[in-house]
Amino acid sequence: MRLLRFVARRLLQLVPVLFGVVIVTFLLVRVLPGDPIRSILGPAATEADVAAAQARYGLDQPLWRQFLDYLQGLATGDLGTSIQSGGSVGAELAVRIGPTLELVILSLAVALLLATTLGIWSARRAHRLGDHSIRVVALAGNSLPDFWLGLVLILVGYSMLGWFPPPAGRIEPGTGLTTITGAELVDATLTGNGEAFLSALRYLILPVATLSIVITAPLLRSVRASALEVLHSPAYTAAAAHGLPDRLLRRGYLVRAALVRLPPLAALVFGFGIGSTVLVEFVFSWQGFGQWALRGLLFRDYPVVQASVLVIAACYVLVFLIADVVQAMLDPRVRVDG
Amino acid sequence: MALLVAVGACARDDADGTGAAGDGTLRIAVPSYPSSWDQDFVGFDPIALMLYKNVFPYLIDYGVTTVDGAEISDTENIIPTFAESFEPDAENRVWTLRLREGVTFASGNELTAHDVKWSKDRAFAAQANVAGIYRLIGLTEPDQVRVIDDYTVEFHQAFPSALTREIQAISLYVFDSQEAQEHATDDDPWASDWIAGNPPSGGYFRVESATQGQEVLLSRNPDYPGPDPAQIDQIRLTVVPAASNQRLQLQNGDIDVALGMSQRDVADLRELDGVAVISAPSNEQVAIQMSVETAPFDDVNVRKALAYAVPYEQIIANVYGGDARPVQSLVPLDMPGYDERGYPYTYDLDAARAALDEAGLDSVQAELVFETDNETQQQLAVLVQSEAAKVGIELELTPLDPGTLAERRNQKNIPLQITSGQMWVNDVEYLLATSLTEGAALNYSNYRNSEIEQIYEESHTVVDEAERNQLWLRVQELLAEDVPWAIICQPNFNLPVRDHVTGWVQPVDGLARLQHLSSSS
Repeated sequence: MRLLRFVARRLLQLVPVLFGVVIVTFLLVRVLPGDPIRSILGPAATEADVAAAQARYGLDQPLWRQFLDYLQGLATGDLGTSIQSGGSVGAELAVRIGPTLELVILSLAVALLLATTLGIWSARRAHRLGDHSIRVVALAGNSLPDFWLGLVLILVGYSMLGWFPPPAGRIEPGTGLTTITGAELVDATLTGNGEAFLSALRYLILPVATLSIVITAPLLRSVRASALEVLHSPAYTAAAAHGLPDRLLRRGYLVRAALVRLPPLAALVFGFGIGSTVLVEFVFSWQGFGQWALRGLLFRDYPVVQASVLVIAACYVLVFLIADVVQAMLDPRVRVDG
Repeated sequence: MALLVAVGACARDDADGTGAAGDGTLRIAVPSYPSSWDQDFVGFDPIALMLYKNVFPYLIDYGVTTVDGAEISDTENIIPTFAESFEPDAENRVWTLRLREGVTFASGNELTAHDVKWSKDRAFAAQANVAGIYRLIGLTEPDQVRVIDDYTVEFHQAFPSALTREIQAISLYVFDSQEAQEHATDDDPWASDWIAGNPPSGGYFRVESATQGQEVLLSRNPDYPGPDPAQIDQIRLTVVPAASNQRLQLQNGDIDVALGMSQRDVADLRELDGVAVISAPSNEQVAIQMSVETAPFDDVNVRKALAYAVPYEQIIANVYGGDARPVQSLVPLDMPGYDERGYPYTYDLDAARAALDEAGLDSVQAELVFETDNETQQQLAVLVQSEAAKVGIELELTPLDPGTLAERRNQKNIPLQITSGQMWVNDVEYLLATSLTEGAALNYSNYRNSEIEQIYEESHTVVDEAERNQLWLRVQELLAEDVPWAIICQPNFNLPVRDHVTGWVQPVDGLARLQHLSSSS
């Protein structure tokens, strides 16, 4: 009950945060140099044509009026119309966000699994060859640019070995997948389409590998440091001295205590992952949220930029909320205050 | 991870059959997904515009001719496609469009004069692309487009124009108005919401399926009524933004045509087995536009100094690998009226210094703007910067993203900028209208010469070819004196393909007509 109250209160706190994001984004996108209207008019456009196009997108209104219209739209779930495409921003966002979240969440899951396993394994063998090797690999992973890493994986995995599909999209054509969320793996699971599931999985492997290699490193270092602290703590030493079985020591004392620091860091890394998708999506022809947001920004497509920043902000705050809850569950010293 | 690799490896074996195209399918990589299916309201998006040429019913289109062994659009031979005929009256002012009977859209609705009228009314209402371009031939009001009967439409121009056929070749597309109107609402009488998200009903090709952001599958339109139908059954357009990936996939045979690779990648591909590079003369012009209103380029001598300092041959050799044509006029090569007296500037540093002396200046400083992420423009800018510095013209290189570039162009405050592009209409009147007269959208030089303005006005109603060429000759003389652009070259168009791909026709407007493509395999 207390946890539920905590979550509800935190969710309410999100409202002013997101409202702040809405205001700042609305103003910033208009302060940026750039003209979204000229790009939709042909070379023979006159000032009257420009004025007509501005009126069509409400850009002829005073700023406060535009803002109120935007807020009114938001309240009814209308994110506006893209100036570049003339389509609904909400509909475009709906097909773009699913695949990107799938990519980032899977990458984070793989990274968390790798970081936890390797971090604890490494700490238990501190300052031995295995530990040194893992630390060197983590350091390398941390310093590789995701863009470059993606290209190398494509070159080796697709071009040289021929193990992976071409970096062109997210699923093979002709699998007959019905789109529900836009995230292919999820949709294939929901519709029980095995062929589509396997195909989507194949297309996911290299981008997920790219992203997870890059984000594993900071997580791994954190887990290893926590685990070392636990290993050297009086409680663990005492438990070990009492001759508790190794398995109990690991599960009961080491793993849970070592993971305490992980949730907030994972939340941060999630945000980094969303940002990284711009390049990873470009390299793998993924065409998800990152590419859509970037295109919006390049052409100053105001409604697209506003919507994409709002979505990123919402993801951030929700993920941090989840991180807080998980941390509270892992660490008995943390009390949620309902 | 080993398990994941194993899944990938196994699945790859399964996919070899399904991923590869059959004989009747061509796989084309394009750099981006089209932003919209609405041709009237679309933002400038070369991929979308290219796609429209193939999937919208265009009533007339260019024929094909051969230049230097390569096939290109024939701008002097515009043929009816979905239409039966398109002919003027004796004064060249009223044009009658006669439609073929019994032509249907994919929906089964018949294509009639009412579809043409609705589509043109919509274009005027949009006040964008077509409405702007129609002004050049004296069409400004919906009333000027009249339905005579179910298969006949008349266009009543305010004045006769030699441009009509070419302007209409890029503007006479139609929507399935019956279907569109079913999706119109009071708030959206032109069904913009619906049209933006739904592919049109078929030109040379129909849109079989479209997966947002990823791929568009085209199939040959079985009901295409005109000459030159699509040669290939299916075309799969896949979005592959990174040029390096297009290259790898072409090399591996996973795609047949790569639309969107850099000059450097193309040069490397020439040596590869199984890959061919189709080369065709293009009318793309590369230039440095100099703002005649911004110091120090408001002085014609400074403009001449820069024009003499540009290393033309070095650029063609190093940036374009020799694969570009030098030009001697702001009027593009292959455009009727081209005359070599139009640009008497060659790389000559002594002449550049002399011109700067003439301006009374020892040195000048300016910003040279080019597009971010445009590798070719960047290389070009570096070469120009290096040579210009030798005569005292210090250039600061400024790459700008599309939004900022559009804004600054609108503010008209860029002293020097690299431009590249081609005229959609192969005619000097159109060049003047879009680029070299006061207020023209592509006139980034802010250039104005009263005699050219006068010639431009006069040209609207001159339809005789010899008479027009006289006007263009004078235009080129004036441009040579005023030198608003340093015109650099016309790079050839290069298209990397698998070697079984044939039938490329270089489009005059740069928008590929895919119906000519076929596969010999």
